[in-house]
Parts: sequence; structure tokens; C-alpha cells
Amino acid sequence: MSQVVEKTDSEMKINYGSKTKPIWCPGCGDFGVQASIIKALKDLQIEKSNVVLVSGIGCSSAMPHTFSTYGLHSLHGRILPVATGIKLANNSLTVIGTGGDGDGYGIGSGHFVHACRRNVDITYIVMTNETYGLTTGQAAPTALVGTKTKSTPFGVIEQPINPIALAISAGATYVARGFSGDPVHLSELIKNGIKHKGFALIDTFSPCVTFNHTNTFDWFRRRVYKLEQEGHDSSDISKAFDKSMEDFKSNYEKMPIGLFYKTERPTYEDLDISLKDGPLLNQPLPGKEEIKKAIEENM
Amino acid sequence: MVDVTIRIAGANGDGVESSGNMLLKTVARNGLHAYGYRGYQSIIRGGHVWYQVRIGEAKLYSPGNGIDVFVALNQDGIENQKEHFNKNAIIIYDPSKVNVDSIKNQGYTLIGIPLLDTAVKISGDPIMRNVVAIGAILKVIGVNIEAFDEVAKSMFLRKGEAIVSNNVNAARTGYNYEGVETFRPIKGDEKTRFTLDGNTALSMGSYAAGCKLYAGYPMTPASTILQWFAAHEDKGVLAKQTEDELAAINTAIGGSFAGVRSACGTSGGGFSLMVEALGFTAMLEVPLVVFEAQRTGPSTGLPTKTEQADLLFILHASQGEFPRIVVSPRNVEECFYIAAEAFNLADKYQCPVIVMSDLFLSEHIESIDGFDIDSININRGKIAEKNNGERFKRYLYSEDGVSPRAFPGTPGLEHIAASDEHDEYGDLVSDALSGIGKYVEVRKKMHGKRMSKIESMLKNESIFVPKVRDEDSDYFFVCFGSTTDQVIEATEMLKSKGKKFGVISFNYLMPLDKEKTKKMLKGKKLIDVECNFTAQLAQVIMANTGIEIPNRILRYDGEVITSAEIVEKALGMIDKF
Repeated sequence: MSQVVEKTDSEMKINYGSKTKPIWCPGCGDFGVQASIIKALKDLQIEKSNVVLVSGIGCSSAMPHTFSTYGLHSLHGRILPVATGIKLANNSLTVIGTGGDGDGYGIGSGHFVHACRRNVDITYIVMTNETYGLTTGQAAPTALVGTKTKSTPFGVIEQPINPIALAISAGATYVARGFSGDPVHLSELIKNGIKHKGFALIDTFSPCVTFNHTNTFDWFRRRVYKLEQEGHDSSDISKAFDKSMEDFKSNYEKMPIGLFYKTERPTYEDLDISLKDGPLLNQPLPGKEEIKKAIEENM
Repeated sequence: MVDVTIRIAGANGDGVESSGNMLLKTVARNGLHAYGYRGYQSIIRGGHVWYQVRIGEAKLYSPGNGIDVFVALNQDGIENQKEHFNKNAIIIYDPSKVNVDSIKNQGYTLIGIPLLDTAVKISGDPIMRNVVAIGAILKVIGVNIEAFDEVAKSMFLRKGEAIVSNNVNAARTGYNYEGVETFRPIKGDEKTRFTLDGNTALSMGSYAAGCKLYAGYPMTPASTILQWFAAHEDKGVLAKQTEDELAAINTAIGGSFAGVRSACGTSGGGFSLMVEALGFTAMLEVPLVVFEAQRTGPSTGLPTKTEQADLLFILHASQGEFPRIVVSPRNVEECFYIAAEAFNLADKYQCPVIVMSDLFLSEHIESIDGFDIDSININRGKIAEKNNGERFKRYLYSEDGVSPRAFPGTPGLEHIAASDEHDEYGDLVSDALSGIGKYVEVRKKMHGKRMSKIESMLKNESIFVPKVRDEDSDYFFVCFGSTTDQVIEATEMLKSKGKKFGVISFNYLMPLDKEKTKKMLKGKKLIDVECNFTAQLAQVIMANTGIEIPNRILRYDGEVITSAEIVEKALGMIDKF
């Protein structure tokens, strides 16, 4: 289905945004994430009809609506299976998942681990705000121990999930973390994630200005630093693991952002023999003779 | 019609199933009709397993009633199965393993063959004792032993010539064993028939219809559909074993949204996990075919036993209201054509189509003459390919409720498909706009558009009415799915007793043409036959037509309902009318 379209000058300036206003509160971290995705797509000049944004449920789910690309606003927690299905059906598409931390690390955590080990060429941007915003402020799986929320009035008593360590251990081939408060940096991470062949996680601190008064923009600004400025070797899995534990070891005082880990491994699409002749969508249907043969072989 | 029912019983790991398969293939390829069903447990070794092969001179509708020829590989076999022996049954057993004292002097023909010894002498492999037994069975029914050679070649040549010749020699030894005679001669025609199970037929029908993506998570009795697709990945179909059934259905939805005919499949437990996504695909108006192979519930239930108790669940699964098509094929041959048609219906009406089978239908084997591939036509429904100069309205209000869809990658038709309520463009009316004047209207109109597909289905298709067999009968059985063929067999048996019974069988269960269904059932003497406790089909009929069917033959012990019990119970009910 992917078609070669001759680009005119005006088309080179692709407008990826839509007229739809997101539901986000003024000052929401998700605005910065949106701007970063648009910048990444502009830098890469990907044909808009070849981009599919997939969201789940939560404030983050508004993301694809603010784009004029193809979009699919799915169920809570199911971004990755839906995105996987789209990519397997037509691997010439650029498929980007945009979800929240409750969606991806809570209800969708099972899919998250398997998407990492599967290494389908999907870019997965998770807007982490440590809260369930759209349901008005319950604890997210990323909430720090002791955080008081509507569903944890006596404070969270579970350890927060560590998506970076989880992704590396599960086999993700591009693991990064950005901050909505630094959209230029975030956009580079997203751009490189899209360019990366394989499953790319870009966990993104995207503060909720309404329901989370602890993990605010300022709170993050005081804690984040850039891995590349410290000369982190993102090809070294041991060092990547080490860095992934820094939040915990520093008692959430020092929180690195940037590229933790990157490696090259064949993608699922490279290895699945059914895709050796190109995208499934474009492969011709079996002819009558071929069907007859397949049937008779089985009986 | 002459027919013989054979049962081979042993333990898991004895090769009971593969010997049953060999026998089915041998007779089907040599002019006979065959029907096979296995009884097994959810363990890998040990336990008590049996395989039943029924062989007939004409089309068979069931695995048979009772056992005419029995092969006992161990003592358990005799003890567990003797209650099913028909009068004058022939019992083949291994004297070194089995003591037949408990069945002596009851009119049975007892044939002791040193199956194990013979197998070990010929091949060194004890599993070959099954093949010795098959040879003996072929002699008993009078099928030429040469017929077996070709089957052995086709099944084992890839394992080497030696394996083939061991099989051939073992079968011949059984065939020629002293005391084995053609007690039950059966004569076929010249046709070569194929043997396959329901799941294979569902898979092949899907393949023939151009289904290229199948996602599933292993669950008995649906797993073999996933395995069929996995085995055909070199033929341009992608099989994805996912981490769970949530992923399976959502992966299939993603694939279908991207333009590839996609399906997923599972049993009741996995279907429970898929339920939310069923409404999701209906809301997106993305076509989807779901295979649901029922087994005995609730919960884990009896994983290797059959039931038809998910009907009401399948008809109503998921929150809210949306159009869906539910169809229940009745036999192996129908599995092929119905699976193929399911993809056309899903595409035409952009909604989920659930193909219900059950463990019995998914796993039992029937011989068929072949499939008419040329009858399979592909209809992808409304697909937009070009922009008309304006922003694409994916959910355009239309008379028949169906709006043209566009596949990602098509320039100019970019749009968003959303699980929230939306307008014609796909833009949400759910969060900021819900409850506001004109958006209340949008919700009403969009919901109406989706629901109007049901009208369109009933208007355009003639399939949503039950099928009647022997219309001028005195009584009618009412049934659906895999129970139907047993019921048909029962009507034949009743005819020979002078009772005229017809069959009204439900193929498509949703939507239903209420008026036509009512007309068909009204005033008739009806007996409902189903494999569940609560007579779910009767409930569906009551809800759709107001007709109550108090006479019911229900089975819910996990075993297959038999034509013999239907006959017996039906005769007991005649007086009640």
C-alpha cells in the first residue's frame, strides 16, 4: 500500500499536527512530548500517510488525535499488541506507540516485557507522570514509596516499577529516557528511536500539573542530568544496568536521562519467514492451485 | 448402510492417536467413509486414552454407537471400555499384557495376538504394536492390506525407508495372523477421500479466504489452528503466538486495521480475556474473525472434553451494544466454507464474526471428497483508495451503516480510529464534548449507524435463518453446531422405527431473522437437543420468537451426545405432545 509520492516543496514542509485540541490541562507535560514527536517526524521527513500513532487510555491517549497522520486510539494497556499487529501486517509503516505509565507499566506490563524481547520495529513513548490523571489522581505503578494519592491515602507501600531496567533485561534494543521539560533533547531521543531498527522505548518524565504535586517540573529539573554529558557508553549493557539503578541507589536524588542502552539485533520482521517477500499487505494472495496444494498436503 | 465402529485403547504415549490416524487414512483413501474421535486427558503420559474410528459405506454423521471391534493395548482398556461393547464385538488383545477373563463367554470373538512381541521382533520399537493391530483390523473389515502401504509411505518416508518397511511388515503380520478373519466385511467405492479435523478445515478455509495473520495463545482445543498457521508461514501467512489472549485479539485487530485479513482463536477461557477487545473492534469498525472452540466449563472445567455452553456468552460478550455475527459450523466440511465466508462477512459489515466450534468439532476427523476451492470468492467490502479533496470521513454516515475504510499508507486518507465514541472523522465526542448539545446528537447518530448494520445484514443475506431437513415430518429436533449431525443420524434411525422426525438446525445464531425463524418453528412439535445444562439455544429461540421448547435432550458430562441416546429419549417424549 505504501506508495512513492513525488514531493513538492510544500509537501516537504509536512504538517503533522491536526486541528484537534488535546484534553490536557494547561502546562501538562504531554504538550512537550507532542512538540518533540512533531519535531522528530519533521526532521525525518516521513510521509505522513506512512505514520501510525497508537495510543491507549488515559490523558496520553489524546496524542494521536493531535496528529494528522494515521492513528489508532486503542484500549487501556493494549497499545503494544495493536501496534505489533499493524507493524506485522505492513512493516513499511512507521509505527509509534504513545501511552502513559499506568497504561504501559500497569495494565499493559505483560505486553511491555514481550514487546521488548520480540524486538518488533516500533517506537514506544511512555509519558510517565506517576499518577492516573484522567481518573483524577490514583497511584501509578511508578509512584514512589510513601506517595499519598486518592487510592493510597496512607502512602504507597509498593516499590515503583523500573521501566528502564525492565526493558534492558527483557531484551529491548533501544532504551532511553527523556524529560518533557527538555523537548529538544527529548526530540533527539525520539528521532533516534524511530530511526533505530527494533523496539525502542523512550520513557519520558511528563509531569501532571493537576494531580501530582510531588513530581513536578521543578522536582525533575533538580534531579535529571544527561547521560551523554557524563560520557555514558550506551553499548555496554552492564553500565546501562548500572545507570538504570541510579534513581533507586540515589534515593531518587539523581535521575539520568538520555540513551541508556542501544544494540543491534535483527527485528522480528527480519526473522519471520512469512515477511521475506515484503510486507504481508503487499504479498499477493495464494492462487487457487497454491491453495489446493496446501490443502492436499494436509490431508 | 454397513458400518463398523472400532476403538483402540491404551495409555498416553502408546501411539493410540497416530494409529487411529493411520487407520482413518487407509480406509478413506480406499473408497470408504471414515469418522474418528479420540478420548484423552490433559496429561502427556499415562492415563487412559482411546481412539474411535468408524468406517462406513456411505457418509457418516457420528463417531458411532458402541464398539464393534476393540483393540486393548492394556488391561485398563478392557475394564474401562467393556460396557460399550456391542453384541458380538470382536476383541483384539495382547495376551502378554491383557487378561480377558472378565469378558469371556459373552458372545465376543476374542483374538489374542502377541502385539508387543511381534512389534519388537520386527522393528525393536514397542510402539509398532499398534500397527500390528491395524493390520489385523484391516483383515477383519476386509480392506486389502496393500492399501496400508501407501499410507505408511506418505506418513513415514521422511523418517526413512526402514521405518516405512517396518510399518508395512508389522501391518502384514497382523493381517495374516492365524485366527484373524474377515468377520465384518465392508465395501467401498472407487473414490479417494481426504481425512481432516474441524480445526484444520477452519484453518484451510481461512487460508483460502486470504487470511494472512493469525494470532493465538495455546489453549485446548483451539491450539491446532495456531499450529496450522505456524506450519504455513512459508506460504505467506504470519502466525503469532502472543503472551496472552489479550495480545492475540489486539494483534489481530491491529493487523486488520492495517488492511490484512486477520483472525485470532481460543477456547472459552481465552475468549473471556478477549471480550473487551471484541467491542473495541466493533467500535473501530475493523473486521475481525474470532474462532471460539468451546470445551467443558466453567473455569478450567474439563480441558479435553466437549460442550456447547458458551453460546449465550458469545452472543452477549462485551459491554455496550454492537453488531456481530455468530456462526456455528456443523461438521468438518462446513468448517472450511464457513471460515472462508466469515472473512467476507467481517469485511462487508466491518464487525466481529465469531465462529463457534467445540472440542468435538475441532478435533474429530471426517473423510471428505475434497473442497470446492473455486467456490471461494473474496469480497473485501467498502475500501476507499482516493481522497476526494476533503478531509476523509472514515465513519461517514451511510444508509447501510457501513463506511468505506482506508488502510494506513494510503495518502490523503489519514484518519484516526478510536475506541471512544467519535464523529464521522473519528474525532472524539467523549471527553470534552460529551453531553454538549450537538455532540449528544452525534453519539445518537453514530451509534445508530453502527447498529443499522444488523438491518443491512438481514436485508442483504439469506443466511440468518435456520435450515430445515425433512420438512414434512411429524416432529422436529432443534439444534445447532456439532450436535446437528448426530441429530440427523438419529432421525434416520427413528425413520426405521416408523417415526418421522425432521431437523431444524441453527447455523447462524446472530443476527437472527426473527419473523422467518418464528414462522418456521410455529406450530411444530419440537425437541431441543444441546450439549449444555440450561438449554441455551432454547433460550435464544424463546427470546427471539417467544416460542418455548419444553422438551429437551441435554448432555453436559463432557462426552459427545450420541444418536442412540437422542433416539431413546425422543421416543420417550413423543407422548408428551
